[in-house]
Amino acid sequence: MLRTVAEINEKIQQQKAVVLTVEELKARVQEVGVTQTTQEVDVITTGTFEPMESTGAIFNLGHTDPPIKIRQCWLEGVPAYAGLGAVDLYLGATVMAEYGGLGDAEESRLNTVLPERGGGHVIEDLIAGKPVQLRALGQVTDCYPRPSFETTITRDTINQFYLFNPRNLYQNFIVGVNGGDRTLYTYLGPLYPRLGNAVYSNPGAISPLFNDPQLEIIGIGTKIFLGGGIGYITWEGTQHFPLQKRLPNETPIGPAATLAVIGDAKQMTPQWVRGCYFKNYGASIMLGVGVPLPVLNEQVVAHAAIQDQDIVAPVVDFSIPRRVRPTFGLVSYAHLKSGQIKIDGQMVRTAPLASIRLSRQVALELKQWISLGQFTLTEPVAPIPGDRTFLPQDRWGSQRASE
Amino acid sequence: MKKRVTLTFPRRAVQMPVTYRLAKDFNVATNIIRAQVAPNQVGKLVVELLGDIDEMDAAIEWMRSQDITVSLASREILIDEESCVDCGLCTGVCPTQALILDPDTYQLKFTRSRCVVCEQCIPACPVQAISTNF
Ligand code: SF4
Ligand code: SF4
Repeated sequence: MLRTVAEINEKIQQQKAVVLTVEELKARVQEVGVTQTTQEVDVITTGTFEPMESTGAIFNLGHTDPPIKIRQCWLEGVPAYAGLGAVDLYLGATVMAEYGGLGDAEESRLNTVLPERGGGHVIEDLIAGKPVQLRALGQVTDCYPRPSFETTITRDTINQFYLFNPRNLYQNFIVGVNGGDRTLYTYLGPLYPRLGNAVYSNPGAISPLFNDPQLEIIGIGTKIFLGGGIGYITWEGTQHFPLQKRLPNETPIGPAATLAVIGDAKQMTPQWVRGCYFKNYGASIMLGVGVPLPVLNEQVVAHAAIQDQDIVAPVVDFSIPRRVRPTFGLVSYAHLKSGQIKIDGQMVRTAPLASIRLSRQVALELKQWISLGQFTLTEPVAPIPGDRTFLPQDRWGSQRASE
Repeated sequence: MKKRVTLTFPRRAVQMPVTYRLAKDFNVATNIIRAQVAPNQVGKLVVELLGDIDEMDAAIEWMRSQDITVSLASREILIDEESCVDCGLCTGVCPTQALILDPDTYQLKFTRSRCVVCEQCIPACPVQAISTNF
């Protein structure tokens, strides 16, 4: 081993660490090769800014007098989950005002004024310091006699407020197209019929997990940039599928590893946490997430040197709404970023969904934090499992029957 | 010269062959950019007029005499740069490449002269950064 995390941290604290963004690193490797780059560089910063549906905020309201055990709760008409401790709430990014509400007059007023808002927008508002209206219904018990409560909260009038995201940072994803004959409204935005457009949602070779393909240097406990504040990797993400097929360069050919992350929302900024809405699909949230990679040895640099032409994603036809959709084969990120790809002999326009400009900016911002000695690195306390399969949900017995 | 105008037709004028009259009586060519016309309803046409400046003014005068509202301020696409996150999703649905991502900076670039105000980009934007002026 060339360097340890402890040695790198010492340099960071003395503001002597050499930090490159992953794009600067790729360029440097092209110039001087892996060995020399490894000698020169201490830390590589990666970043992404893209919609991450499986995101949500946990917060604690503090107790009212008389106290309430909240069982149902709405923030700006958007329902939050209340099946935890009396005043603990979880607000998911994709929940929308239209669903699960009371259906009363106030609710429908909110729906007509704000039809395109969901949990993601409420989280963004709280992070921006805006007041948010809260309405709660309680279960009356001897400990908690209050039946209902209404107030306005801000991030400064609640206790803990942190993002706890069960699935962020997809390692690769798909490219969506529509081979049918009507427009489809999807989580990748509108897909036009007869292969009218193609949307890819991963920013490619700059994306964090493409640069540590087997999750060898990051793991549980890795400190990260999350929404403009500090966060940590806490677990494998939901749908974590490291056993996805891989190219000889070890990068997966489709959706693979995912991570669960946590971070203090009170430190975050609305620039890096943006509620969003996909027409006729629903609400979501766009997040800036950055991951530092310590240059421990040459292999770290060799992995991070990967370019857009070395990685691929499957082109998936959304016109067949089944679990396993037909694909039109694999396409490289270099082709995707050129603005056009060829499918079945037809030229199809491509558009990203991740913001490549803001992904780069996350990496730059994290680089600045580290260069200024404000952000040190952590060593993982446990690895992310590398052997998870991805089970489908079939009716009981059908799997056994098909064996 | 060229002029982009929005024409609003009263019900009875919808049946009138306006573009034919403009060409025949005033030598003005019309390029229809967007149309919302159905029999017996108020219709709307966004057109680009092409012709001699005097003849074009006469043509506009004539249309107004026929109770057609001619508005020179045509509908335009507005992009809120503060809200835009440069995701690029709108660039994939824009039929004229009025919206593109700069190949180096990946920042959204809007070329107004290419825009035909088809409005397909508006619902495609996930942060509602695109709108029209009216
Ligand atoms: S209105 Fe149509 S042509 Fe104009 S920018 Fe939007 S999609 Fe492109
Ligand atoms: S879709 Fe909206 S946010 Fe994305 S680049 Fe276009 S205007 Fe900007």
